[in-house]
Amino acid sequence: MKKIVSTTLIAALALSIVGCSSSGGGTQSGAGGGATGGEAAAGLPKIGVAIYKFDDTFMTGVRNAISDAANGKAEVDIVDSQNSQPTQNDKVDLFITKKVNALAINPVDRTAAGVIIDKAKTANIPVVFLNREPMPEDMQKYDKVYYVGAKAEESGTMSGELIVDYWKAHPEADKNKDGVLQYVMLKGEPGHQDAELRTKFSVKAIEDAGIKVEKVAEDTAMWDRVKGQEKMAAFLASSGDKIEAVLANNDDMALGAIEALKAAGYFKDGKYVPVVGVDATAPALKELEAGTLLGTVLNDAKNQGKATLEIAAVLAKGETPTKENTGFDITDGKYVWISYKKITKDNMADAQ
Amino acid sequence: MNTVGVKRVQHFLTQNAIYVVLIVLIAGIALYDSTFLSFTTFRDILLQSSTRAIIALGAAFILIAGGTDLSSGRVVGLTAVISASMLQTMDYPRRFFPDMPELPLWLPILLAVIAGLIVGLINGVIVAKFNVPPFITTLGTMVIVYGVNSLYFDMKPNESQPIGGLREDFGHLGTGFFGPSGPYSVPYIVVIAIVIAALVWVVFNKTKLGKNMYAIGGNVQAATVSGINVAANLIIIYGIAGALYGMAGVLEAARTGGATNNYGNMYELDAIAACVVGGVSVNGGVGTVPGVLAGVLIFSVINYGLTFIGVSPYWQLIIKGLIIVAAVAFDIRKYVAKK
Repeated sequence: MKKIVSTTLIAALALSIVGCSSSGGGTQSGAGGGATGGEAAAGLPKIGVAIYKFDDTFMTGVRNAISDAANGKAEVDIVDSQNSQPTQNDKVDLFITKKVNALAINPVDRTAAGVIIDKAKTANIPVVFLNREPMPEDMQKYDKVYYVGAKAEESGTMSGELIVDYWKAHPEADKNKDGVLQYVMLKGEPGHQDAELRTKFSVKAIEDAGIKVEKVAEDTAMWDRVKGQEKMAAFLASSGDKIEAVLANNDDMALGAIEALKAAGYFKDGKYVPVVGVDATAPALKELEAGTLLGTVLNDAKNQGKATLEIAAVLAKGETPTKENTGFDITDGKYVWISYKKITKDNMADAQ
Repeated sequence: MNTVGVKRVQHFLTQNAIYVVLIVLIAGIALYDSTFLSFTTFRDILLQSSTRAIIALGAAFILIAGGTDLSSGRVVGLTAVISASMLQTMDYPRRFFPDMPELPLWLPILLAVIAGLIVGLINGVIVAKFNVPPFITTLGTMVIVYGVNSLYFDMKPNESQPIGGLREDFGHLGTGFFGPSGPYSVPYIVVIAIVIAALVWVVFNKTKLGKNMYAIGGNVQAATVSGINVAANLIIIYGIAGALYGMAGVLEAARTGGATNNYGNMYELDAIAACVVGGVSVNGGVGTVPGVLAGVLIFSVINYGLTFIGVSPYWQLIIKGLIIVAAVAFDIRKYVAKK
């Protein structure tokens, strides 16, 4: 008899899963799914959204913006690709089977977008890529494919400009009075497109403003706060007072650097060095408020999400997206570029 | 119902619990949303199960022989990258090997499978000859294989960029199908998985190697005493498993049209989970091919079906975990009851 009980238990467990769906569905707006859900929201186009992974802070912001923008415009079904391209392809197959009216895909691996475009083209479903840009040749394969994202180099340029503004407003920033800006660079993962572009364009922005620069040190801290702190401590040990600016490819590393600087006695008794990051994360805003972080650059999650949804919704209705029906400029008939924003203590509210 | 009848039902349910769960799961989802019952969804589920099934069958070899294998996911990543790196179109601007001529399709695939085989053989030698516990051995090779793959992936001129621009004939292997396009098509990749499953079934049930595998997993001392060359058999078993992971890696690259060194991450746990849910004993000596396939299908149905009806991915994780623990608890009960 006990065996029957345990078998029944397993069966009950399996059944209860279906029960969970009603409570689980609540976490995603409009993801009521299923035939009944579809009928209830009759008239609204269905959009299948696949995010590269759910536990990415920035993409979570984009994901929430998509949900918010969908209100009353479309029924969105947002799924997690778990940072695995094969998983994402599986989700795309699922959306095609469910006959969604448009796809919004945040690819795990940008080179794999070609296969997704082929799938969408075969099923005649329009597709909007976001945040990770497919190869130009893949974008040309299908007329109903769009891209929404930011230009990575712009984030570098803006973080450089933050340093330029400070340098020009504060003559005392040139500690050794040699007219040259001595900086250290904390890089993200080597080979990562954002890391390479931010490094290059932040320095370029400073040089373009007519300021001579000298690189005191540059090392990779793998986007990581702990590593940022360790590397900065090492820089301080080797060339402490020479450093006149700290550039970090992201906020986490900038915050790590700030910790190291605090430990070395900075940010009190007038001892200061400007630190800039990128991302405008919540902890970074706190440091902005405290005056330790000079500035950061916001990758505009809200507008990336909104633009993605607007374009997908227009496409889902079988129309062609334009500035009029989406509210966003469309470049070359396929691209929507969302600008970064410089964030300092003065305009912190924009990033909250 | 008389007692004999009850006993029979009991016996049937105990022996076939896994299939009962699978059917209940599908029925439950279909009750919630009847559109789930269609050829297209079943084709999708089979498609998504194919590479996972090949990996799980490899893992089953090792689990039945009394071992465990954590390296499978990283081997999948390694062979995905190896095969993709040699199968890019000639005109792709960022070729991994800029000067490599166009190779026949089978050659890079064979090289990738051999790479998997080699890792498997190394695992087998370390386990069998140096008596390092399989968990530790494969934990080590898992990390090493990822390191080797990352070094290869980081070579100039590629420098850790995702490998794309794969040849059409290669992509066709992963996305092509027999029959008319649409719900009644049979993807190549499903056929490949079925053929491999059939071959593995033959090895398990009709060969000396299969018998030795069950014997070693059941009781290694008894196997040694009865004259089985345990070391040689283990090395072959780990080697076969490695080659299967290799094939799965090739198919993952073909299916997605690209590869990075992160492919296959955590697949080893999915494979082990599918095996144990499919009735492969974690203590070795027990397990069948149909059971493993049902285990893989259960996870695919959960992945696909629950997404289909809009269950939050976080709930899906909880459900998966519960099923793994419940299955093993049930399996061990069966085992204890036998004694």
